[in-house]
Amino acid sequence: MLIIGGGTTGTGIARDLSLRGIGCVLIDQKDINAGASGANHGLLHSGARYMLKDSETAVECSQESELLKRLAPRCIEDTGGLFVAVAKDDDRYIAQFPGLCRQHGIACTPLDIADARTKEPCLAPDLKAVFHVPDAVVDPFRLSLDNAADAQKHGARILRNTRVMEFISHNGTLSAARVQDVRTGKIFLIEALQYINATGAWADKVAAMAGVHIPMLYSKGSLVITQNRISSRVINRLRPASDADILVPGGTVSIIGTTSLEIDNLDDIRPTMDEVDMIIRQGAVMVPVLATTRYIRAYAGVRPLVKNGSEKGRTISRNYTLRDHEAEGVENLVTITGGKLTTYRLMAEKTVDIVAKRLNNTVSCQTAVLPLPPSKKGAWTEPGKSPRAWAAHPRPKDTLICECEMVSESMVDDIVDTLNAEGSPPSLEEVGRRSRIGKGPCQGTFCSFRLAAYLYHTGNLEGDQGFFQVKAFVNERWKGFMPLVRDKELMRLEMQESFLCGLFNMEVDR
Amino acid sequence: MNQPTLHTPLAVVGSGMAGMAAAIFARNRGISTVQVGRVSEIGFSSGCLDLFSILPGRQPVAFANPFDGIDALVKKMPCHPYSRVTHAQIRRAFVQFTDFMASAGICFHGPEKYSRHAWNNQYIITPAGTLKPTCWVPAAMKAGTEAIAGNQRICIIDIKGLKGFGAMQMARAMQSKGVHVTGATIAFPGRETAGDLMCERLAWDLETPNVLEQFIQLVKPHLQQVDVLGLPAILGIYRFEKLRRIMEQTLGKPVFEIPTLSPSVTGMRMKEAYMGKIADLDLLHFPITVSDIFQDKNEFVFSVTQGMETRKIRAKNLILATGRFMGKGLGVRDEQIKEMLFDLPVTQPENRSGWLSNDFFDPAGHPVNRAGIETDDCFRPLDKAGAVFHPRLYAAGSILAYQDWKREKSGAGISLVSAFKAVSHIAQNIPAGRSE
Repeated sequence: MLIIGGGTTGTGIARDLSLRGIGCVLIDQKDINAGASGANHGLLHSGARYMLKDSETAVECSQESELLKRLAPRCIEDTGGLFVAVAKDDDRYIAQFPGLCRQHGIACTPLDIADARTKEPCLAPDLKAVFHVPDAVVDPFRLSLDNAADAQKHGARILRNTRVMEFISHNGTLSAARVQDVRTGKIFLIEALQYINATGAWADKVAAMAGVHIPMLYSKGSLVITQNRISSRVINRLRPASDADILVPGGTVSIIGTTSLEIDNLDDIRPTMDEVDMIIRQGAVMVPVLATTRYIRAYAGVRPLVKNGSEKGRTISRNYTLRDHEAEGVENLVTITGGKLTTYRLMAEKTVDIVAKRLNNTVSCQTAVLPLPPSKKGAWTEPGKSPRAWAAHPRPKDTLICECEMVSESMVDDIVDTLNAEGSPPSLEEVGRRSRIGKGPCQGTFCSFRLAAYLYHTGNLEGDQGFFQVKAFVNERWKGFMPLVRDKELMRLEMQESFLCGLFNMEVDR
Repeated sequence: MNQPTLHTPLAVVGSGMAGMAAAIFARNRGISTVQVGRVSEIGFSSGCLDLFSILPGRQPVAFANPFDGIDALVKKMPCHPYSRVTHAQIRRAFVQFTDFMASAGICFHGPEKYSRHAWNNQYIITPAGTLKPTCWVPAAMKAGTEAIAGNQRICIIDIKGLKGFGAMQMARAMQSKGVHVTGATIAFPGRETAGDLMCERLAWDLETPNVLEQFIQLVKPHLQQVDVLGLPAILGIYRFEKLRRIMEQTLGKPVFEIPTLSPSVTGMRMKEAYMGKIADLDLLHFPITVSDIFQDKNEFVFSVTQGMETRKIRAKNLILATGRFMGKGLGVRDEQIKEMLFDLPVTQPENRSGWLSNDFFDPAGHPVNRAGIETDDCFRPLDKAGAVFHPRLYAAGSILAYQDWKREKSGAGISLVSAFKAVSHIAQNIPAGRSE
């Protein structure tokens, strides 16, 4: 079995397959969660947001989120969520809300406004309704890494930095995928019985290589991270889904978003100054402190929406699309795309059901029953965890590579071990994705170099790899910092450029 | 307690490279000076003095000879600060500045002073394993520059716990450029178990003879089949020339330093050398930040408070050397870049969305980098109408518009030449000698 795409869905599929005893290889052109799975709110939806437009998704979210809270508790912070309406919000929707929750099986409690403001002092003073729902927060990196680790434990192989170039097919059956290790340039074949396309926004591009087509619409969503945690609970604006109306806490930070902007090109996904300004302006209506708080960075992901007729943006269903391409003449390719992070497990189950049946595998799905075991891979993704670990067991000899987020050499060793175990050496970005390195206030100015120096020292980088990786790392952080540059941020830019360009000459060297 | 008002022909606001240079040039012209400002950003200095090397653009052009580069630059950017000075003035500014630094103990491996040809850029190794072009290399880095030029075998040694300075990183990256570099790691004597070491701390330690001796013994085994030894810049803050000589004599090999990230010992040395010579400068230095300056009867008036004492200062001329955003010479209000002391007009991109490039490493530079103060040929800021803002107000250094010192590798040069020209102009109107 070949799974293409290492997002939450792909890693979920890998685990599901492995637990049913089906061998699989998972490849990703970049890394685990390098796409939308790593660029979302990290919200475990109660389903309440989708009740109005997308009833089915609402029910699935409600059921899956309760399941995940039980089975993957270490990936989840069960914060609860509030839906709050401010003075100008539509009374009719507010009145409908509790009834809709009942219909969808979502536990909903009206809260006294004064009480709600005591619980969450950040809320706007002009609230007119507040409801509590079972929203929660999920760490998508940890979730995917734990899924990947469990899949590997049960025999799955994971190949990062491996992209599909083409499929080789005979009479409507794919016999192999020609793939390339994008770092070494090495090209090789992967032969499989069944092929699963779980590439999110890239689903059509991959499907097209097999001669089939999925009409897609790319909706960019941008989000902004605050320097401090603003609320204890998830806070949703009580209105039909719109821009910048969800504030999600996570560890020591909060995330406000999103936007929904139709784009054509998947090559350079970045939040813009205009989007960030709008998010902050809109968010401040619900939580006024958002207008004045400090922000660390912005980021953007692409929702892979599958077109059905002429719908646009937020009106297109957020439900998943599972397409068996047999009817279109490709008998061993399945595409799974769209959907929500919250329903990833269900999406994986439904996908695996199709392919397992073709292999005459009758083992039932285990992921709804077996807890997701925590792994070393996903141990260091949570904001605030490394400082806590450091404070609990300070080891003076264990040099801190990232001082902002207190990530030490031994934590990096842990991560590097798991990457090397996958058979390919670690990169700066990959270590960054699995830890908090580069995510604090310095945004990689100092730690990217320290990390590079350490990886060279431990023999994990060679030649001039570090030069290019530091550049890529810094530019990735820049993508998220640039739209926030307003006043004090220019100071940091000046310092960072003094080192990287003024002293290191990195913009022209090589 | 209020002290009597201090009258001075010249006040220099800022103590970075441009402020220091202005005070030095004023001394050379016999102008007594009051200087205010914390000596802070100089702590970031690599210790090298850049003049010009890279003409930024989509296809950046590297110049071996800075003057050739400056000619091309001025043709492309006719308002660049370098367009307001002659080559001869540039040379004089550098020679005066480095002569002063040499008298304060910091020697440069500079060009043959008066021959244009010999001012060619030299290369130093950076902690990123890159080569940085610069014009004046401090003596402490000279052996590295010569080793690169002479294709010698270099060993770089790093120290366990000293972050952001990786010998293997530099060695591997330099090897891929065909330079003979190896790397090794040692534990610093007496600090073997420390996880977090600072360059400054190590530099203090090495000023102690037995630590230096132990350090040399630890380094020694790594130098077989090596011509030159490279170390992070930690060889002392005051006696660095001597410490390096002792090392070279004991090891029998040339030793050079590599600049580190901030706070850097190289910057600290420059600051200490300057502060140590203040008494010779006919200079009153107040290491405080001034936030209000008034104009009264054609003089600049401001107060400095130190402890219980407040002193009013009246200056006939003023050089604004307050730097950019880090120095707080520039700031932002309502998404517009502002000059913070006189609210001078700032040349800048039309709006905030035009400040930055999507690529951090854009070889053309971020447009905001060229925002700054527009001046006449004597470096006097202009008002909105394009006339001189005040006949005796000058601006020097990175606050000036149209330059991007980080991309051009022109930071020291711009500071020095603008300070030099401003002081020259001031000198024309001041009788030499003390005025207090």
